[in-house]
Amino acid sequence: MKQAGRPVYIAGHGLACARGLTAAEAADAIWAGDTRCPIKRVGEREFPYFSMPLPEAGWAARAEAAVQAVRHQLPALPPETPLFVASSSFQIGEFEETGGELPLACGVFIRRLADWLQLSGPAHAVANACISGFSAMADAANLIAAGLIDDALVLGCELGNLSTLCGFASMGLLSQTSVRPFAADRDGLILGEAVAAVHLTAQPGRWRLAGTAVGLDGHSPTGPDPEGGPIAGVMHECLIAAGWRAGEVGLVKLQAAGSPGSDLAEARALTRVFGAALPPLLSLKPWIGHTLGASGVAELSALLALLDADRLPATPTGVPDDEISAKFPVDRSNVRIDRALLNLIGFGGGLASVALERAA
Amino acid sequence: MIAVAAAFEQSFALPGELAAATKATIGKSLRRPSGLTQLALVGALACLPPEKRALPTALLWQTASGARAETAVLLEEARGAGEPMPYDFLATQPAIAVATLMPWLPGLAVATHWPQPTTDTAAWGPLLALAIQGLAGGRYAQVLCAHLDTWDDVAHGRWLLLTTDAENPLAGVRLAEQGGPAHLADTPELPGRLRHWLTENASETARIRMPAGYRQQVEFVRLANV
Repeated sequence: MKQAGRPVYIAGHGLACARGLTAAEAADAIWAGDTRCPIKRVGEREFPYFSMPLPEAGWAARAEAAVQAVRHQLPALPPETPLFVASSSFQIGEFEETGGELPLACGVFIRRLADWLQLSGPAHAVANACISGFSAMADAANLIAAGLIDDALVLGCELGNLSTLCGFASMGLLSQTSVRPFAADRDGLILGEAVAAVHLTAQPGRWRLAGTAVGLDGHSPTGPDPEGGPIAGVMHECLIAAGWRAGEVGLVKLQAAGSPGSDLAEARALTRVFGAALPPLLSLKPWIGHTLGASGVAELSALLALLDADRLPATPTGVPDDEISAKFPVDRSNVRIDRALLNLIGFGGGLASVALERAA
Repeated sequence: MIAVAAAFEQSFALPGELAAATKATIGKSLRRPSGLTQLALVGALACLPPEKRALPTALLWQTASGARAETAVLLEEARGAGEPMPYDFLATQPAIAVATLMPWLPGLAVATHWPQPTTDTAAWGPLLALAIQGLAGGRYAQVLCAHLDTWDDVAHGRWLLLTTDAENPLAGVRLAEQGGPAHLADTPELPGRLRHWLTENASETARIRMPAGYRQQVEFVRLANV
């Protein structure tokens, strides 16, 4: 059903990720095709990992520097602005570093994030694994649409830590080479860190959050239904919430992380939703990695910076997969996109889509 | 009318009682479940009789403890020389609980999980506001709202079930303009205090104290006044 209540707009955004410490810098690097990625050692093995280019040493100093870099990209916010923090790991990297006792309350880190952002209003944490960012945006947008709040800052925060890297490595989900979305030889994800924010508001702005949809795929804790039915269902629900027909979508920003199973399921979902008339496709993970709980907000911020400059990058991929008919544009192009659909597919069966529309 | 169809609390001594309750609920033991997964399963199935489990359902849950014990195990393994066991990593991810629930709750359509920054406050107000919105919009037939904690020796599950077609509703629930007196502090024990208000207090309505900046409050209404 169409999204009810007040429209929700984007008043500002900010990003710190492997490709740069501002959204504009990251968009420039993505446009230039910079996919360089340093290596991290996990036990006996080495994995590429998209680290943020921060000079600070120490987990907390890096965290604060990244948050401050994002804060300075945002318009001034009233201190009482509600904060929604999306993360899957919060401050676990700090406990790895210090060996300190875990806090009694697992979400206590959001208080420190609020302090760094100079926000003193309500602070909520949303942790739904890889879809945390869109879940937090959906919750905040629903509260704005219903008139409970007028503004919200949604912060995606995923900072370097060994526990997550080890966990993904132990499950055999990581590539040791590169992210190759939709390619026949794709062999897994490359993780990354990012801090990003989007300021949602009831006040009209340049971009509108036209619709959100979240859902579940109970096929398996670590992967979606290979036929893509539940993913297509959430994409379809998001189109309905936005009041769009499939043919009106100008771009799909995919999950497409290079995972053998999820990529195939998402490609089949695209066919279910769009048939043969696919809009242009984009995956941002070859440039910034899979930033897990931050990925929704980080990829939205990077995309906004690209779309504001009428830039559509060509996603680096690999050998075409005969099972996947959906293809990325081969060449980058300067094209105006007015409507984009953004997908996330998460660990634990979480699915989410967001409809983004140029409002003016 | 959106109504509170269930409000209750469960406590289990750890580790034995929770595992036993899980087995009694589903007829078998789960393979390496986290405490939060077991609490979610036992509580959700206590809220919903079998004939209601395929209806479109949302689960909005919060926790202060998080997967604390499981995270300590993972940290220990990550500090070692090798890689952790996959199941130990999965146990630290509360979102995984949903995948475990779905075979028993086929109507589960949406789940969201809010970690809490303190042990003595909660986010029932914002989560119930989202639940009311979801029910009013017709996307779900019922919403499970929960506060789940697993501490060293005890696990607590606190539950409210909101529906649009309760057979024996406890109270109505709605959004009201900010400004009235808030009778119910937003703490983990809210379901118990709601039941207490229903039996002991004479006021016609009871509001949850919402976070500063929220322009509406969640209001419970005695059925005679709905």
